[in-house]
Amino acid sequence: MKKIVLIASIFFLTVAFFVTYYIHANTQVDKEDWFSDNREESLDEAETSAVDSINYYEASLAPKVLTWGSRGQDVKNVQWKLLQWGYFNSAVDGIYGERTYRAVRWFQSKNGLTVDGVVGPKTAAALGLSLGVARDAGGAKTAGVSRNEDITLIARAVHGESRGEPYIGKVAVAAVILNRVEHPSFPNTIAGVIYQPGAFTAVSDGQINLSPDNESLKAARDAINGWDPTYGCRYYWNPATATSKWIWSREVVIKIGKHWFGN
Amino acid sequence: MKVKFKKIVVPSILVIALVAIGIWGGYQYKLKEEYEIVLNNSYQRLFYDLKAHVENVQVSLSKVLLAESKEQNVLLLTKIMQEAYSAEEKLGQMPVSHSDIAKTEKFLNQVADYSFAIAEDSLEGKPIDAKNREALVNLQNYTDYLSKELSELHKKIADKNFSFGAVKRKERRDLDKTNENMLNTRLIQLEEKMTETPELIYDGPFSDQVTNVKPKGLGDKTVSAEEAEKIAKEFMNGNKVAKISMFEEGEQMNKTARIPAYTFSITMQNGKNSPAIYISVSKTGGKVVWMTNTRAVTEKKLSVQQAQDKAQKFLEDKGYKSMEPNYSLKYDGTVLFNFALEQNGVTIYPDLIKVKIALDSGEVVGYDAAQFLKAHYKRDIPQPQISKEEARGRVKTNFDIENVRLAIIPKSSLEEQLCYEFKGKYQGSDFIVYVNALTGQETKILKIIKNENGTLTF
Repeated sequence: MKKIVLIASIFFLTVAFFVTYYIHANTQVDKEDWFSDNREESLDEAETSAVDSINYYEASLAPKVLTWGSRGQDVKNVQWKLLQWGYFNSAVDGIYGERTYRAVRWFQSKNGLTVDGVVGPKTAAALGLSLGVARDAGGAKTAGVSRNEDITLIARAVHGESRGEPYIGKVAVAAVILNRVEHPSFPNTIAGVIYQPGAFTAVSDGQINLSPDNESLKAARDAINGWDPTYGCRYYWNPATATSKWIWSREVVIKIGKHWFGN
Repeated sequence: MKVKFKKIVVPSILVIALVAIGIWGGYQYKLKEEYEIVLNNSYQRLFYDLKAHVENVQVSLSKVLLAESKEQNVLLLTKIMQEAYSAEEKLGQMPVSHSDIAKTEKFLNQVADYSFAIAEDSLEGKPIDAKNREALVNLQNYTDYLSKELSELHKKIADKNFSFGAVKRKERRDLDKTNENMLNTRLIQLEEKMTETPELIYDGPFSDQVTNVKPKGLGDKTVSAEEAEKIAKEFMNGNKVAKISMFEEGEQMNKTARIPAYTFSITMQNGKNSPAIYISVSKTGGKVVWMTNTRAVTEKKLSVQQAQDKAQKFLEDKGYKSMEPNYSLKYDGTVLFNFALEQNGVTIYPDLIKVKIALDSGEVVGYDAAQFLKAHYKRDIPQPQISKEEARGRVKTNFDIENVRLAIIPKSSLEEQLCYEFKGKYQGSDFIVYVNALTGQETKILKIIKNENGTLTF
């Protein structure tokens, strides 16, 4: 009898130990994420794509290459394009596997590119995509520079804030973020505006960490390239769910989808 | 045996399970504590930094009032700018709601912006005049008040072992009443005081004049919703409009919108399944502000050059003559062109129109004239006071120049400046250097970041 008790207790202790260890390990990861905040995504991209990733900075300056095993939004974009053009008929999952590899080779052979199954700058250009992560050395004022990291960050905010809204409503949310950057009462960087405590519910509840869909990315790009359907608004709210009294004192300019936009 | 099993085994299993849960719970609690400490520390640091920055602003402001030489002033003013921006950035990260600190943030932004504007003026040879001095004294007083309030607040926080984390989580019951709203109420008081700050008159991106600027290029005819609908339909000529509906506007559209306008959503007859087209027509002047067709572009048949010709032709049809393309960007199967007005051989960058062409059919899928309508007016372009060669002399000698032309560029946001524009290469990178065509000063340097999809076309 004592034996049974002993075995049972050892068994439970081991289970208990592994359970706590497992949970601990998991939360530990969360903690690190918390520190790296908005860099997280771009870091991932740089790590997976650069061939011999030395550090983030250099990797982002080198032309990006996607190969078997790459993961991330860029792979999704490639898969999406290939799917649209009928070269690829599997799930757009952001993982560069065998099917993606075959589809890329097929696409390359059809388009007179070197058939190597690797998406480099040329193949990406033929697909109408840009993989390069250009760094903006001159600040936000260097006109027309590709700001991929900013675009993904805005797209993530848009995705978290306005899923289910019409396209113009998504661009409007992105435009509000950019209008805030320009306004004196708000932080002067895109990350500053998005991560301002309490500013966006999608940031507070973590939805901003979801990877953005194609439409959000497109909306972010359209907004960064100048389209502002809100005519300069800095606030928006959903009248059905808004709880803050203060927000009702804002001046409404336009109503798009479920959101009201104002100043 | 059976009795023994019930009496010993079952309870011991339960006890062990309880211990296991206890260990697990302990871990969880420890983790929570750890997070809280990390969070608290970073907020504490933020607060110390904020205080230090504000104090530095205050000290430098008082030095500027004393300093006599131009060089010293410029150094101090740029320091003020940097410190004030840092303070503003730190304030924006505090765990308080935006509405409680918006005015304080604005104040700090404008301090930074204002000192930069005066620094620029100083460099151009304009001394700090009595008006500037008065504004600086004012700013110094407010900064003084701000830094005093912050140290007051900080003393209280340090005394009562106040936890920022608790404020953030709004866990009121853990804190006594005085603590709970301290951060908020103090900052709200500040906020009320900041409302009284006088409007600063200067030329910088954050000045009140810039945010309230009225569009110049609209004309003065008022357009009704019906007329606007007609204009929108005409703009989509060649395509049959099946349905047009207007977005509901808010009460303050006419008062606060940058360009008050009617916004329409259009469905085409031939495209039942394709997404809507959005178009905006200004209330004054009845100009199309922007138009976007959100359909997906799958094929690419046209070259960028062909697309550019289509865009140019489109603008001419719409009555925008002598627009020249300066930049193009390829994305999502489309090319976006930036067109700037050309007047007497001078490129006028503020008058900017963007046209987006789909590479499958050459159709215009995007149009944005907001910038043009805001900035455009009939300009009297001054004669350049220095020659091209003289201007070249002001630019670094080994800057390898590919193209020179005259251009009007927006300086900050209100003024415009006639410049010689030098495009070229330096140490393998592309740059554009602007030299003031009236005074010969080097005013702006842009670095071009190469991207396979974006091309400068001049």
